[in-house]
Amino acid sequence: MEITKAELLSFYETMVTIRTFEEKAAELFAAGKLPGFVHLYIGEEAVATGVCANLTDKDYITSTHRGHGHLIAKGGRIDLMMAELFGKATGYCKGKGGSMHIADVNLGILGANGIVGAGQPIAAGAAFACKYKKTDAVAVCFFGDGASNRGTFHESLNMASIFKLPVIFVCENNMYGISNYQKNHMNVSDISDRAAAYGIPGVTVDGNDVVAVYEAAAEAVDRARKGDGPSLIECKTWRHRGHFEGDPCIYKDPKEQEAWLKKDPVLSLEKKLTELKFATVVELEEIKAAVKEKIDSAVLFAQNSPDPDPDDVLTDVYAS
Amino acid sequence: MKQMTYAEALRDGIRLEMQRDPHVYLAGEDVGIFGGCFGQTAGLYQEFGPERIVDTPISETAIVGHAVGAAAAGLRPIVEIMFIDFMGVCMDEILNQAAKMRYMFGGKAKVPMVIRTPCGAGVSAAAQHSQSLEAFFTHIPGIKTVMPSTPADAKGLMCAAIRDDNPVIYIEHKMLLGLQGDVPEGEYVIPLGKADIKRKGSDVTIVAWSAMVHKALAAAEALAKEGISAEVLDPRTLNPLDKDSILNSVGKTERLVIVHEATRTGGFGGEIAAIVADEGFDLLNAPIKRVTAPDAPVPFSPVLERNYLPSEEKIIKAVKELF
Amino acid sequence: MATVGIIANPASGKDIRRLVSYGTVFDNQEKVNIVRRILLGLAAVKVKRIVYMPDYYGIVPKAVDGLKSHDRLSMEIISADINLTGTQLDSYRAAQVMESCKVDCIITLGGDGTNRMVAKGCGSIPLLPVSTGTNNVFPSMVEGTVAGMAAGVVARGIVNHFPVVQPTKKLIVYKNGLPIDIALVDAVVLRDKFIGSRAIWEVNHLVQAVVSRGEPHNIGIASVAGYLKPIGVTDKEGLSIEFGRANYKVLAPIAPGLIVPVEIETFQKIRVNEKVKVKSTPCIIALDGEREVEVNEKDEAYIELTFDGPKVVDVKAALRAAVDGSHGSGMEELHKEFVLQE
Repeated sequence: MEITKAELLSFYETMVTIRTFEEKAAELFAAGKLPGFVHLYIGEEAVATGVCANLTDKDYITSTHRGHGHLIAKGGRIDLMMAELFGKATGYCKGKGGSMHIADVNLGILGANGIVGAGQPIAAGAAFACKYKKTDAVAVCFFGDGASNRGTFHESLNMASIFKLPVIFVCENNMYGISNYQKNHMNVSDISDRAAAYGIPGVTVDGNDVVAVYEAAAEAVDRARKGDGPSLIECKTWRHRGHFEGDPCIYKDPKEQEAWLKKDPVLSLEKKLTELKFATVVELEEIKAAVKEKIDSAVLFAQNSPDPDPDDVLTDVYAS
Repeated sequence: MKQMTYAEALRDGIRLEMQRDPHVYLAGEDVGIFGGCFGQTAGLYQEFGPERIVDTPISETAIVGHAVGAAAAGLRPIVEIMFIDFMGVCMDEILNQAAKMRYMFGGKAKVPMVIRTPCGAGVSAAAQHSQSLEAFFTHIPGIKTVMPSTPADAKGLMCAAIRDDNPVIYIEHKMLLGLQGDVPEGEYVIPLGKADIKRKGSDVTIVAWSAMVHKALAAAEALAKEGISAEVLDPRTLNPLDKDSILNSVGKTERLVIVHEATRTGGFGGEIAAIVADEGFDLLNAPIKRVTAPDAPVPFSPVLERNYLPSEEKIIKAVKELF
Repeated sequence: MATVGIIANPASGKDIRRLVSYGTVFDNQEKVNIVRRILLGLAAVKVKRIVYMPDYYGIVPKAVDGLKSHDRLSMEIISADINLTGTQLDSYRAAQVMESCKVDCIITLGGDGTNRMVAKGCGSIPLLPVSTGTNNVFPSMVEGTVAGMAAGVVARGIVNHFPVVQPTKKLIVYKNGLPIDIALVDAVVLRDKFIGSRAIWEVNHLVQAVVSRGEPHNIGIASVAGYLKPIGVTDKEGLSIEFGRANYKVLAPIAPGLIVPVEIETFQKIRVNEKVKVKSTPCIIALDGEREVEVNEKDEAYIELTFDGPKVVDVKAALRAAVDGSHGSGMEELHKEFVLQE
């Protein structure tokens, strides 16, 4: 599978955008400027980026409570996302959803989701629609290791398998269901093992290596587009932050955290890009600076945006 | 007009909408060749084939959950949950997904889907196959709740539910499925949120829905012989609720009895009573009465079940207490 | 006291070849089950001490834990003292520990990739490789029970090493003059820039290969050699292949279920200790089926064939020898211990 310089650089830009967006969100949250809960994707950028690089606007994704990265990788607008984090009228959801419910149906983003595991049947349904309408579009379901213990996982993978739905289940195994270490919440080490129970392929890849994720997703997406059915890709990764901002992370082993920080997906990609002479350090700095500027202007847009009209509490409950 | 059963009528509605709109499909447990647990979908598989009449595994969560995704992606699914009692299995998909998607996304999503499900006691199906759980759903903003009582309403409301751009819970009463009645042929759509006066009267308003409409009608017939003229009002849809028709009727009769098969506490009758007390207090000349099932699970024994259910006699008794 | 090492790789049998081809699915529960059978085999031939590689799933402890109460083992089972990384380094380090504490035989559960890592650390300790990987040329499909018994008779000296334990070849990869890695079966030069998902499945990326062995019944790039000029496990030669212009064309099973035409420009036998130059840089070199070594444009890389690969137990020969008593004191020992047990 050839990956060009331009593609690799675009992966990098996406990953840096996610990283910078999240770092900004952490900063704003700590400063008390964001209401509600914020769950950050820092450390897992390679998964969303490597997967979504195989998708177009016609394809669907379902995301999670840790959804910012998926939305950015799928092409979501960061100004509208940032405004939503602030709860502003200009936000993606007009201030009605917040961090955990951002969606852009026109881009096939069927929403972040506050219920762990809820995206799985929804993604299967979107894939059902793709197949029903005889398009070659696919759906990708992002979910975590914890969500693979939900009944939705079982029902959705089973249904997707018997109907040969064009859906790719992408498990971001960051080894914790909130504070519960993986080996305490399931008796398998590799969630890909579970695929066999549904008669679908399951593979495990290094979720911190964007190329490894991209390759596996490319194969799974191609398989789905051709009508050959669903796949399960487990991406082993690690969230650098807590479950939510403010989580003291007392459950994490500092040594393990340190080891994973050395496998930072963004830094690894920087190293690869310079080794391959795809970019100089200076050029990478330029990309980072340009991203930072975009994020800063998104924050400015959000801060200068109006709050929702208090009477808007009753709009959008029903479609008329 | 054509004579049809309630089941045939709702099926006629599904068939017409499926012919009209290729995005409509039906999925659920045993809805295909088997034709549905009570035969509601018989023949549809033969007419529309396996791509549009989809037999699913016994997976209520995935049945409703997939419908949410399919609806958000542009289809108009009708899914069947074999008994309303099973809705607990897929409650998150209704409560947190289907109902909230549009609102959470700032109005930028549409979730046009129908969940059909049979409710009701009367066949000794006991506590897990006999309930009337409509109040679960009326308590959730973002979904609509439909409960037809006649074959004609079954068809007209089915067509409206399918055409609606919101998630609709369409509750069909299992004791009504075989009920015969006149049904308009061809396209027939009853707007959601429009009550129907099933019998005109002047002395008391009996608000009843689903199977209870028929018990209320029988009670009204008996009461008429005793000189009490009862108006039987069927709201047909609980959400949206045709509040105006209820208040108009009570304005005329000054008395209100609400009849539902669901258990009493937290039942939708309490909501109607509250609305009338709140907005029509001056119209009333007597306390509002409710005739409901008691706060107990549905029993198995025919003797116990008969005693459990609201009856013509219990309605008559409640009405008479107002005079 | 006779000691047997167990290295069961929890990550084998899960890579992308289950998606791009039809790779065997080996879930870790099955590895646990295989280890259980191995332990019972070892117990039957009275091996009293086991050293195992710890892993993040806990294959060996789970195997012990799940035995029925009447199968409880009377053996010492010790975890090798290594810092777990959750990567292939664990297999290497565990092998080093087993080498330093002089275990008598190491049973591995994995594929070619796992055995490659073990071979880097195990020195002259005989390996008994049980296949639970994807491309398996080096390990064989062998029932765990029997593998445990064979490892036991070797470890206890019931049979002599010769001819039950066979030497193998290996390939050493040099970068800028330094040996940096090894392969047991094949080293394949790929027109790639990334290690990525590691596996090889795209024929048009093949540039060059050096194989230590290759038979038509193999799976992976070694099979290409099998269709050009088969090289046996103990033959004192290897094969160097260059892909490209189709002077030769073979149909080869390069991954499970993936039987594809492969175009070969040239191929030639190489002698033991001969070095083959890597002709095109930058490239990636895949070792035993997994993309492993990055070679930059200015690097100079060579691949050398040697005959000092790990020693491997021939399961059939070991048990046969034990029963025949034709080597060592097998007959009596075995009869005493389990053949005639009442």
